[in-house]
Amino acid sequence: MGDLVARSFPPLDVAALTARLEIPEDRAEVVLGSLTSAYEVIDVLDSLPLGETPPATAFDARWE
Amino acid sequence: MDAYELTIADAAAMIRAKELSPVELTESVLSRIDAVEGKITAFATVTADVARAAAAAAEAEIAAGAYRGPLHGIPVGIKDLYETAGIPTTSSSAVRADYVPEQDCAVVEKLTAAGTVMVGKTHTHEFAFGAVTPTTRNPWDLEKIPGGSSGGSGAAVAAGECMVGMGSDTGGSIRIPASVCGTVGLKPTYGRVSRRGVASLSWSLDHVGPLTRTVRDTALVMNAIAGYDRSDPACVDVPVPDFAAGLLAGVAGLTIGVPTNFFTERVDPEVAAAVAAAVGVLVGLGAEVREVAIPLPEYILPTEWGLMLPEASAYHQEMLREKGDLYTADVRLFLEVGEFVLATDYIKALRARTLLQHAWRELFEGIDVLVAPTLAAPAVSADDLTLHWPDGTTEAATDAYVRFSAPANVTGLPSLSVPCGFTEGGLPIGMQIVGKPFAETTLLAVGQVYESATTWLDRRPAL
Amino acid sequence: MTALQETRLQEASVLAAGLPTVTEAIEAIGAGALSPVELTEHVLARIERLDPLLDSYVDVFTESALAKARSVQDAIARGESLGPLQGIPVGLKDLYDVAGTPTLAGSAVRAGHVADTDSTVTRKLRAAGAVITGKTVTHEFAYGVVSAPARNPWDRETIPGGSSGGSASAVAAQLCLAAMGSDTGGSIRIPAGLCGLVGLKPTFGRVSKRGVAELSWSLDHAGPITRTVADAAVLLQAIAGHDPGDRCSIDEPVPDYLTGLGAGIEGLRVGVPTNFFFDAVDPEVADAVHAALAVLVEAGAVLVDVTVPHVELTADLVSTIVGVEAAAIHQEHIRTVPEAYTADTRMRLLAGELISGTSYVNAQRARRLVVDGFRSVLSGLSGVDVIATPTLPVTAPAFGAKTAQLGGADVPVMAALNPLTAPANAAGLPALAVPCGFSAAGLPLSLQLMGRPFDEATLLVAGHAYQRRTDWHTRRPPLGEN
Repeated sequence: MGDLVARSFPPLDVAALTARLEIPEDRAEVVLGSLTSAYEVIDVLDSLPLGETPPATAFDARWE
Repeated sequence: MDAYELTIADAAAMIRAKELSPVELTESVLSRIDAVEGKITAFATVTADVARAAAAAAEAEIAAGAYRGPLHGIPVGIKDLYETAGIPTTSSSAVRADYVPEQDCAVVEKLTAAGTVMVGKTHTHEFAFGAVTPTTRNPWDLEKIPGGSSGGSGAAVAAGECMVGMGSDTGGSIRIPASVCGTVGLKPTYGRVSRRGVASLSWSLDHVGPLTRTVRDTALVMNAIAGYDRSDPACVDVPVPDFAAGLLAGVAGLTIGVPTNFFTERVDPEVAAAVAAAVGVLVGLGAEVREVAIPLPEYILPTEWGLMLPEASAYHQEMLREKGDLYTADVRLFLEVGEFVLATDYIKALRARTLLQHAWRELFEGIDVLVAPTLAAPAVSADDLTLHWPDGTTEAATDAYVRFSAPANVTGLPSLSVPCGFTEGGLPIGMQIVGKPFAETTLLAVGQVYESATTWLDRRPAL
Repeated sequence: MTALQETRLQEASVLAAGLPTVTEAIEAIGAGALSPVELTEHVLARIERLDPLLDSYVDVFTESALAKARSVQDAIARGESLGPLQGIPVGLKDLYDVAGTPTLAGSAVRAGHVADTDSTVTRKLRAAGAVITGKTVTHEFAYGVVSAPARNPWDRETIPGGSSGGSASAVAAQLCLAAMGSDTGGSIRIPAGLCGLVGLKPTFGRVSKRGVAELSWSLDHAGPITRTVADAAVLLQAIAGHDPGDRCSIDEPVPDYLTGLGAGIEGLRVGVPTNFFFDAVDPEVADAVHAALAVLVEAGAVLVDVTVPHVELTADLVSTIVGVEAAAIHQEHIRTVPEAYTADTRMRLLAGELISGTSYVNAQRARRLVVDGFRSVLSGLSGVDVIATPTLPVTAPAFGAKTAQLGGADVPVMAALNPLTAPANAAGLPALAVPCGFSAAGLPLSLQLMGRPFDEATLLVAGHAYQRRTDWHTRRPPLGEN
């Protein structure tokens, strides 16, 4: 996934269309800041060579 | 010694021999709650009447010769995420202030069938969202946090307010309070214990399990609560062992993996020294040590968060829209952020999880268990939830605590936290023993042999 | 008359009666009445003559098919057998890897692709002696139900359905004896239904998907398209089984699907849904399915009214899960070569990228409800053995149409074709499409039977019992051959 560029967030009202969640204007800044931090953490996964790895959908901890 | 100070195993032996009645034991525990709860606030609800009725019933049954087993008449505390019929189950949140379930969750059903006596519902960090449990204080130092999210259970067990506290663990929430409160805590293998009726934080990472004072007590509780339940889609239909049977197996011939990375980074020196000493004790008892490198370390937390954020926000989707202002500020923010994580990012975390699982399988090819600090640091002050590292960096306590406990959530592997010492300031330190899937008995044997060889259990919080 | 001349005469009579079914061909080859080489040559000749009308193949393996047929023939001459499917010409949807050949998956994105190894199903078919005739047309990455440019042999102005449309078109026109399809929301059963064929979507995990291009890993299934239920049983026997190379594969013993196939259905409890499945269905379809139920009753089945809880959630959850999983699979290519996708597929993949994680999680939760809903109908003392429904609410839509008539409204073709098949994908249950008549316009109609997890055997016994009492499956499409 090395081709993914870093995220730059559109105004939250655009994202809110997807989530169908209104964020009041007075909370926008703090939510956006937290969202950016959260994506900084999870976007580390962009550098993981996932190849054909399937997802652990119905996760089963067994190894067999 | 007061009855409340007994271990489950000792109390059970006395109850069985009719040297101790469940009513006496329950009264002792309820008095202890009366005495210390004002300082600790471990409970969201104390169910004294329910407990007295259950204790009386247990006493009558036992008198009639119908002894159910080692949990019969044993006082338990139940994390307030666990649904309890007719008893408020608030998840320590204003959002669920008025929630009274009609049915018990699966674990409470099983504990009730085993004859336990519920003395109350223990506090959680709101909806299990953090490792602080702000309602509650640490019995070892009332200025300190009890950890979380099962902080009420950890504090209550440490203070003698119940003999087992049930917890849940999504990123460490059983082991974190166990470690900072000086108790034993077991996060079983994903799929070992049914989660039906326990409020979810993140379905694919949630586990339920016990906090107790001793390793044997944890084994006794596991015997009552483990087993397949079709109504929890995560539950796996595998044979359930007698968790207490192999407790004395020892560590001779076992190979212990000691990490050379990840668990060695940004860790309090007192913690690192205590765990190293504990490994030395295990070596003295016949274990072999092998240094191992934790695979793909930088991807563990991104995977944990990538799974947890959208799952948690899905669980809370309606409540956030209807009662958003009733959440505490940090939990609300977390839920809002989770709403904006894309499905493809969630899938990426699911795929990363597969890779991590494979890598940990390889890691365990040469070892039987992995031993590491449960937490990077002991309990922080309730007034300053920040860790200050020697390199000048700071870290939020929850982030620091989750860092070492998340690997066992992402991999689903069982992890047992046992007390392994104290800081100079008198705060408990825990080590975690991580094992192969469904190998809880191995962890318990290692924990037991260590506990028997050391005297940490003899210390009690002053209160 | 020499022995050779005698064989030729027998072959002529076997092939003159129309191409044999898989079951008939196995018997004729085993009895020495049909030469595998003649059979393959005959099929290749039909492809050459008829495929220009149908566009069902993207690639025909003339040389390797003949070579395999010859090796089967040589083995037989030595008194050996190359397996239960020896000499049977089978087509593969162009999602199945065949070592050394491209798997284009109907997409320009795959241009230049060459598979290193056989898919597990390809390998198992070959090991059973099958002759792989070639690769059949699919909707781009199986993400649709149209499968252009393939045509429906029953009426070339209509679509064969999809996404395994090429496979169904080829089997219906007898351009192979059986073909493999894949099914994410109905893509085996939809084209089987529209082309008058049998289509079997096995239980999730029954047949390996290793080496089959993915659309949506948690809903994709691999399975056969054949003319008869007995043929589907033979194919399933050859391809079923655990494959550690496929994480979705489940280690469950494979029963004998063939020995008990004729056991009959005396006392079989057939659930007929009172909700959802007959709500918006063409009257011609409903009539044919009810007539088929009457045939099952004559054969000894007992009809039971059932309600399948939560099944109405299927359309939403399946489109969410497919959208997300497809977007995840294509995340890199949609950025590097967006222009290589058709506009429809690109639009769908981009839409999938905008679905929130919570929606996907909630879709998986809804899926759980659908699974439990089916379980409540198919298990317990009052549970039924199979559930019978129409496979499709409509007959084949016109080629090129974007919409189809459903319940008096114009709906997108996808929405018209997959509502009754997708529930079995969501629940992972085995489902069998069986021809059950023709519309006034001469287009095929189809009955769907769904069963308990890993109980394909009961579906096959029921479908076979039905086909022994009906002759819909013996009718041939009008291709101007006679």
